[in-house]
Amino acid sequence: MRQLPRLTLTLTAVLCAALGNASAQKTTLTVGVFPDLDSVVKAALPGFNKLYPNITVKINSLAYADHHTALTTALSTGKGAADVVAIDFGYVARFAEGNGLVDISKAPYNAGQFRNQFVAYTYPQAMTQDGRMVGMPTDIGPGAMFYRTDMLKKAGVSAASLNASWESYISNGRKVVAANPGSFLIPDAGQAAQIIIRTGLKSGEGLFFDKSNNVLVDPKNPRFVRAFTIAKQIRDAKLDARAGGAFSPEWTTAFQKGNLATEFSGAWLVGHMQNWLAKDYSGKWASQQLPGNTFASWGGSFYGIPQQSQNKTEAWALIKYLTTNKDQQVLAFKTTGAFPALRSAANDPVFNEGVPYLNGQKARVLWRQAALKIQPLDVNKLDPIAEQIVNDALNSVLDGSKDITGALTEAKNLITRRAR
Amino acid sequence: MTTAPIPDRPATRPARRAPTLDGKRLAAYALIALGAVLTIAPFYFMFVFATHTRSDIFQLPPPTWFGSNLDENYRNLVERVPFWRNLWNSLYLAVLTTGFTLFFCTLAGYAFAMFSFKGREVLFGLLLATMLIPGTLNIVPYALIMQALGWIDQPRALWVPGMASAFGIFLMRQYIGSSIPRELVEAARIDGATEFGIFRRVIVPLTGPAMATLGLVTFVQSWNGFLGPLIIFRTAETYTAPLALRSMQGIANTDWGALMCGVALTVVPLLILFALASRQLIEGLTAGATKG
Amino acid sequence: MQATLKPPKPRRRPSWSDFQRRYAPYLFISPFFILFFAFGLFPIVFNAYLSFHQWQPGTGLGEMKFVGLRNYTDNLTDPTFWQSLKNTAILALLSGLPQHLIAIPLAFAIQGGLRRMQNFVTAVYFLPYITSIVAISVIFFTLFSWQYGVINSVLNALSGLPLIGALFPSEKINWLGEKEYVQSAVAMVVVWRYTGWNMLLYLSGLQAIPRELYEAASVDGATRAQQFRYITLPLLRPIMFIAVTLSLIGGLQLFEEPFILTNGSGGAGQAGLTTVMYMYRTYASYSDAGVAAAMSWLLFIVIGVLTLVNNRAFGRSGLAGRD
Repeated sequence: MRQLPRLTLTLTAVLCAALGNASAQKTTLTVGVFPDLDSVVKAALPGFNKLYPNITVKINSLAYADHHTALTTALSTGKGAADVVAIDFGYVARFAEGNGLVDISKAPYNAGQFRNQFVAYTYPQAMTQDGRMVGMPTDIGPGAMFYRTDMLKKAGVSAASLNASWESYISNGRKVVAANPGSFLIPDAGQAAQIIIRTGLKSGEGLFFDKSNNVLVDPKNPRFVRAFTIAKQIRDAKLDARAGGAFSPEWTTAFQKGNLATEFSGAWLVGHMQNWLAKDYSGKWASQQLPGNTFASWGGSFYGIPQQSQNKTEAWALIKYLTTNKDQQVLAFKTTGAFPALRSAANDPVFNEGVPYLNGQKARVLWRQAALKIQPLDVNKLDPIAEQIVNDALNSVLDGSKDITGALTEAKNLITRRAR
Repeated sequence: MTTAPIPDRPATRPARRAPTLDGKRLAAYALIALGAVLTIAPFYFMFVFATHTRSDIFQLPPPTWFGSNLDENYRNLVERVPFWRNLWNSLYLAVLTTGFTLFFCTLAGYAFAMFSFKGREVLFGLLLATMLIPGTLNIVPYALIMQALGWIDQPRALWVPGMASAFGIFLMRQYIGSSIPRELVEAARIDGATEFGIFRRVIVPLTGPAMATLGLVTFVQSWNGFLGPLIIFRTAETYTAPLALRSMQGIANTDWGALMCGVALTVVPLLILFALASRQLIEGLTAGATKG
Repeated sequence: MQATLKPPKPRRRPSWSDFQRRYAPYLFISPFFILFFAFGLFPIVFNAYLSFHQWQPGTGLGEMKFVGLRNYTDNLTDPTFWQSLKNTAILALLSGLPQHLIAIPLAFAIQGGLRRMQNFVTAVYFLPYITSIVAISVIFFTLFSWQYGVINSVLNALSGLPLIGALFPSEKINWLGEKEYVQSAVAMVVVWRYTGWNMLLYLSGLQAIPRELYEAASVDGATRAQQFRYITLPLLRPIMFIAVTLSLIGGLQLFEEPFILTNGSGGAGQAGLTTVMYMYRTYASYSDAGVAAAMSWLLFIVIGVLTLVNNRAFGRSGLAGRD
């Protein structure tokens, strides 16, 4: 059985030789991705192969976490990675360290030339402090608040009062939950903290570290204290469904049952709501900006080239096609709802249309605005680690096993230990 | 399912003689039945979910009876992954691993149980010690070995290291040591049999139940193995079934119906194997040990 | 393996049988040790080396930095590490004991009491073991979910019954969201999964007990319970030893069930965070491979000590079979 692909290759070679077409040497390019990005790459292939008929693209998809585990191992040991690898934004800083991935800011790639064509905050995410760049942004997740118009109406609460500030989100949220028995304001209280941590930055600050690598996570840092306090207030007021992360089964069921009054997420969520998550509630959801006039992003993906790849030129050709080709970026949006990182793609007419699921609201305009307002953050190589530690601390505060000061102190120690 | 030996030898089993349905016995049966229901419940849901759409799966209450979406789930499954190919890969690996493990572990278990030789205690201690080391962190060194050997994307990277296990030797040694009389081995030696001859003619026929147990567990572990295949296999065609099924899981977008359909299909070969192994096991039980 | 079957070498004709007898055991156990030296030793050495270095996986092997014993002291001064050890111990006990307390009588009942149902009952109890827990994780959420779970629905329904209703909670239990319940939920799944496996071990062990013993006891008028107490239990010792040892080692390396159930987080109050989970988190999420490697060695020491204690408790009779 395993000879099959080889057989096909041999056949192709024989055929090519027979036709005397020596120049038609085919290159096989492997792409390592995770769902749903695999559907995007699959959809891109016909267009790509029109431009590059001699490159055969093979897609190897693995589950999200598995893909990154396998990639980490391949980069550690120097062998076994695909030619083009997808990297989620949560991992990109980690892979930027070391030399596993090609620095695409250098020749012959010169990714810098495309920088002003992309949404501003994307490039810094894939860059190290010393200016190396390891991934091209392909999609982004401008954050939005989704809310149930019918539930708000019942409570006599306007969307504007709900997202005026976090305080008014909580006070008006109480009314919404009171007016709709069995409902929850938000899937998980932790989400509020995540947004506050990402939006209340002073200039010169990264998320968890300042420019000189000092740890910002601290019981005296108002941003973290406020994030934890607001989240704790939501939890203590019994406003959240305690569903944990998005797409947990608890979260899914809450959505399907129509028990959620609001949700904060990337704009791509609408596609899932429409297709399966909340099919029965079409027309009842609408979108707004995040509370307190803040802007944050949910996810985003990049493509990188491992140093070990033997087909770097072809790999770069594919990456360029996937990221800088406007039609392809629009196609990706249509395929999976992946919001384009390429700015010209977001100006496609399709973004000015109303969204049927949101009762015809022209929400994509809103999301485009949000995307342009999201601030670039100073990325630190230890961000993913700090994020995990802060998340664990937040959970222990929310479930009542630690107080805010204690949890932040311990988190600070754990991060400091790894930052030396 | 019921085996012949039961009516065959009624006199040898006092417990089987006219079992009266007294209260105690009834209570015990009820308890066993309740336990069986609880045990089988998650399993039952797996098959039920395989016939529903993913929207149905997350309904409240969840579906408790078979739905009508099996066809579509199956179509989605085979469209997303080369499922039967993946299943074949799993089978190939599991059969090789199990075959070698049974042979080598029984052989080594025999040696540890029936011979006294220099260094036996130390070697057995070493063998047990290898079981105590948590293997979770072996990802990188394991990948390094397989790359050095050039075995990436090759099934042998998994079945060759899996040909013998400390656990299997431990099991066989305990079983052989406690169930096969030394006199049998001694008698065979006096008859001039070689040690391997004794293994083949005396030991192997008498270790059926333990071999069924070890074979089953080795097969299941290989079949369900995940981290090893994740490191080794690089293409959708070489993935094992669990790896392929996981590759269908997105963070956001997972077709749970198709996935459960794949999971259910992946369990079927194990069920068949279990039916075979359990026959060996139960027949051994009902026939009784062949020694006194 | 064929070597033992070859005709004796002419040079030392009379001693061929001595020769093969003497070296047969070494030959018989050699496959395991050859495989161990080829594939098992290097990871151990690698992790030992790694435990004295600082290294972020994904950065290439050249990036390792020697840090002496720091990774070890880091672990020993990390409260979460100690908490994870405590969780592991509790979970090992909470999930280990019931497995055997159920499996031994169950095996005994299946072997002796159930007639036509033997095959079927054995199969049913063993089913969980052959299922990949990763694959059916979604089913556990269906069962354990706080607001929407089947278990809570059943418990609440039972609490509405007269008489026995008081035994069951009428409030929904947040199984994975409150630290009082996380460990019970994890233990339930572990018991569910491994009781059948232990039952199988005991079934194969029961077979080694000569039937004549039961017959003699029965003639003497011993009840089933007495037979169980005075014949089955003592003679089941060697298999009990292996089953308990495996549960102990498995329990102390518990990873999959709590990881899947708590989505890697350890659940409320981190009560479901086992040491292996914390090790994996340190490696994969904190990218601190050196500290994780040091942790695996510390855990190895703990497991080693407890296994020795267990070994002592069972005495030489356990380990040495019938010697």
